[in-house]
Amino acid sequence: MRLKDFFKDKGLLLLLHLVCMGAGSGFLRVTGYSKANVQIILIVWGLLLTVWFLVSYLQRRKYFREMERILETVDQRYLLGELMPSSARLEDRLYREFIRKSNQSVIERIRQTEEERKDYKEYIESWVHEIKAPITSIALLCENRRRGRQEEPSDRLTEAEKPEEERMDFLTIGLENQKIENYVDMALYYARSEEVYKDYLIRETDLDTVVCEVLEKNRLLLIRNQVRAEVDCKDRVYSDRKWIAFILNQFVQNSVKYRSGTPVFRIHTRREKNGVVLIFEDNGIGIPGEELSRIFEKGFTGSNGREQERSTGMGLYLCHRLCDKLGIGLYAESEYGAGTRLCLEFPISNYISREETA
Amino acid sequence: MGKGRIHIFIIEDEPVIRRELKVLLENAMYRVTTPDVFDRIVSQIVECRPDLVLLDVNLPGISGFDICTCLREQSAVPVIFLTSRTDSMDELNGILMGGDDYITKPYQAPLLLARIASVLKRTRGTEEKEGTLPVWKGVQLDTAKCCLFVQEQKAELTKNEMKILHRLYQNPGEFVSRMDLIEYLWENRVFIDDNTLSVHITKIREKLKSLGVQDFIETKRGIGYRI
Repeated sequence: MRLKDFFKDKGLLLLLHLVCMGAGSGFLRVTGYSKANVQIILIVWGLLLTVWFLVSYLQRRKYFREMERILETVDQRYLLGELMPSSARLEDRLYREFIRKSNQSVIERIRQTEEERKDYKEYIESWVHEIKAPITSIALLCENRRRGRQEEPSDRLTEAEKPEEERMDFLTIGLENQKIENYVDMALYYARSEEVYKDYLIRETDLDTVVCEVLEKNRLLLIRNQVRAEVDCKDRVYSDRKWIAFILNQFVQNSVKYRSGTPVFRIHTRREKNGVVLIFEDNGIGIPGEELSRIFEKGFTGSNGREQERSTGMGLYLCHRLCDKLGIGLYAESEYGAGTRLCLEFPISNYISREETA
Repeated sequence: MGKGRIHIFIIEDEPVIRRELKVLLENAMYRVTTPDVFDRIVSQIVECRPDLVLLDVNLPGISGFDICTCLREQSAVPVIFLTSRTDSMDELNGILMGGDDYITKPYQAPLLLARIASVLKRTRGTEEKEGTLPVWKGVQLDTAKCCLFVQEQKAELTKNEMKILHRLYQNPGEFVSRMDLIEYLWENRVFIDDNTLSVHITKIREKLKSLGVQDFIETKRGIGYRI
């Protein structure tokens, strides 16, 4: 609040005083008061008025500064109504009451929305857990039917072609089932990504194991697409296995989707000054330079996504979001037409590295 | 190998999963018991004296964690939790309650079998290693030394070549399809494609030739390999 604005605001009152001053002194002059007396009255009047204005300006300034301070320091600004400084002025009190009422309804609405969101999130989580039972059943069924005749392998090759076809059908069902599983997982991790801290289990993690498990899990998809993978991950990091596996799984899905003629994945780690970098490299179709910076955006599909296969633009967005929460660096390099390289940077905390050297 | 006698007790309320798990484990040469009522489940387990318990966490009316706690009072049988929950807290709980491993649904069959084998190995000290080295048509495969012997002659094998031969030695005299072979390799951390498999087979053949063995590995187009 500046002085100029304050006087502008009080312009009408000032005008009223000036009019009164004029009218008063005119009346006094007409009724025979001397000019000097009238001047004294005007000076005193003017002085009193100035002091009045200044004092009320200072008071108001203090009041509003306090309010600004509250607004700046409080993280939930809609609580202003409760925190407003008390004031003796009627207007202030009335405004305070109005703001409070309006804020109360905002708070009520927020609480309700949060409640609904929490319910929804809990429902999604329990739904995910429920749907995993049928997914497991289907996966086991397919696996058993596909491998079923392994106990009597001598019959295998003498049988007609039909069972082979059937085996392929079960393989296909199994693969589609895995796609469902991946989409379901994405929903679960999206619901959880808000509150990653509630679901941490940070421990020493052998990246080699995690990478191999993800590749093994996707082996049918990868074998079917004639993928060759080279794994060299000797380094260990401190992180949550489950989340890393989810992120790597997204990388694998993408690399399979955007593969080239003879797909090769190279997954290796590199120890750096302040951390371990896991590099996931493929020789797929790559990402055009102008799109590279946007691949981690929500819903971004890019020209590849539109041309190749349906893409939701959620996979990498989720990875990025999770990495942010986990404190892992994530960046991509790509040469269009030659391949993509995704890097995960695991920091080594000072605490742990100190212990290691000790 | 004595593996056939290993007895696994499955506690799972989902009938389809229960049935398929039973098939899967029986195919893997385990003996399997799957009760479908969970009354007095702990004494059922104790009476059966299994070598391993697969325990679902979410059972009707009772939690697998509680069962495990009760079971631990009477028995030290290894327990693997199976669950569709993926909370870290749950996982921690499972371990604190005395579980030996914790596997989340939907599990991969080979991974499940591997984890079962590793828990059994840890708790029973059952070694998968055969006492005698497999010999077929005069060729001996030494998995420990990673090489082939023909009489006194020796040829070194790479890790990948050894795994390929290991699979072929499991069913001597029978064809193993390329798909099965590649899948076996992927399950054993050799992530190769079809072409690379052919390259490896050629190299193994060359090594065998240098040992004076011809036509040890037979190819049938469109089907697979046989030793």
